[in-house]
Amino acid sequence: MASQVVNLRVNERSREFLAAPGTSLLSSLRDTLGLTAAKRGCAQGGCGTCTVLLDGRAVMSCLVAVQTVDGASVRTLEGVARDGALDEVQSAFLEGFATQCGFCTPGMIMAAEALLDRNPDPTRDEVVEAISGNVCRCTGYGPIVDAILDAAARRAKA
Amino acid sequence: MITAVRTPESLAAAVGHAAAGGRLMAGGTVVMAQVNSGSLGYTEIVSLRRAGLGGITLDGPLARVGATTTLTEVEQSPDLAFLRGAMRGLASPTIRNQATVGGNLFVPQPYGDLAVCLLALDATVEVTGPDGSREVPVGVVLANGVAPGEVVTAVRLAVPAPGTWFHHKAMRRRLNSAAIVAVAAVVDTAGGVVTSARIALGGVAPRPVRAVSAESVLIGRPLESEVLERAGRAARADISPSDDSYASAWYRARVLPVHLRRAFLRQP
Repeated sequence: MASQVVNLRVNERSREFLAAPGTSLLSSLRDTLGLTAAKRGCAQGGCGTCTVLLDGRAVMSCLVAVQTVDGASVRTLEGVARDGALDEVQSAFLEGFATQCGFCTPGMIMAAEALLDRNPDPTRDEVVEAISGNVCRCTGYGPIVDAILDAAARRAKA
Repeated sequence: MITAVRTPESLAAAVGHAAAGGRLMAGGTVVMAQVNSGSLGYTEIVSLRRAGLGGITLDGPLARVGATTTLTEVEQSPDLAFLRGAMRGLASPTIRNQATVGGNLFVPQPYGDLAVCLLALDATVEVTGPDGSREVPVGVVLANGVAPGEVVTAVRLAVPAPGTWFHHKAMRRRLNSAAIVAVAAVVDTAGGVVTSARIALGGVAPRPVRAVSAESVLIGRPLESEVLERAGRAARADISPSDDSYASAWYRARVLPVHLRRAFLRQP
């Protein structure tokens, strides 16, 4: 079967593109739409650096066959900043030195966004659970967890 | 190489594509990983995402859980609250947003924690194929799979009475790690002694297994440390553990009685 036309709403914008059978959402975002924030890590769902929001829920985009989610809404790290200003999670990561090498950061931030969308005032344990699918090989988990808690506090004040 | 991804919008269409040789895919957490590594061994994928097989319904104590219900939906269901602990110990929240109840039946150990629970619950699996529908005990599906062209449409289970459900999973990390030993059980007691027991173990065999030797030790006796130690040692006759990157076969057999005891005494 030839490539299929897929329609997605990506970061509030309608996108229509072709995808070969078996193409992952991650590949479509990176290689077709040029949205390279979500990273290709293990390609097995084990590292979390490809995490994006699919219809509001965090998913490993490497494990989503893009043809099966035609019509869905996707949010990537590129859609997090508002009017060119970093959002609270991004600011907290930057100011809390939670980025380290940066490879896990896009997935960490999207997992954090998914958590805070549903639970604006998480406990430390809830933050740890929310990012338990995201691996940081710099092992900078402490500052990452701190940054997500800091982001929740910034949002509560905003 | 994948030549087609089908997204049938009915069960009948899904069965047709599966019977024609397509690889069924629900959440994609196993199948897409194989696509990405080039090891799928099929050219056509049949996604169940739009086949209308999701959702949880309750009829008294009997629950019917559609095959494409995600593990997050199970975790968040008030009707299946007894499974919340088991779900939170299974993979990561992100994977649970994708992985499905039906798919979990086909995940090899030491993964597939929900399948261990379903075996303890004596769940029934609804299956539809080109020749019609049938209901199969979950243990049979875990042992034999389903026939080519058959689609699992739902699992049915009885929600255990309060206090009769036991679950414990030993893993290398507190979250998101495979089972070293997983214990799931429904045990009834009366007058301080066990009157019926269904114990399933994960992580200790190629597929979830019943700990029938441990069950027979428990019957007629109280759920106390000494009895549980004995039941745990007896359960070694029911397992065939393997070495993997999480634990050795020796270690799994060695610690099985410890975790069986912790499951029933509700110790962390």
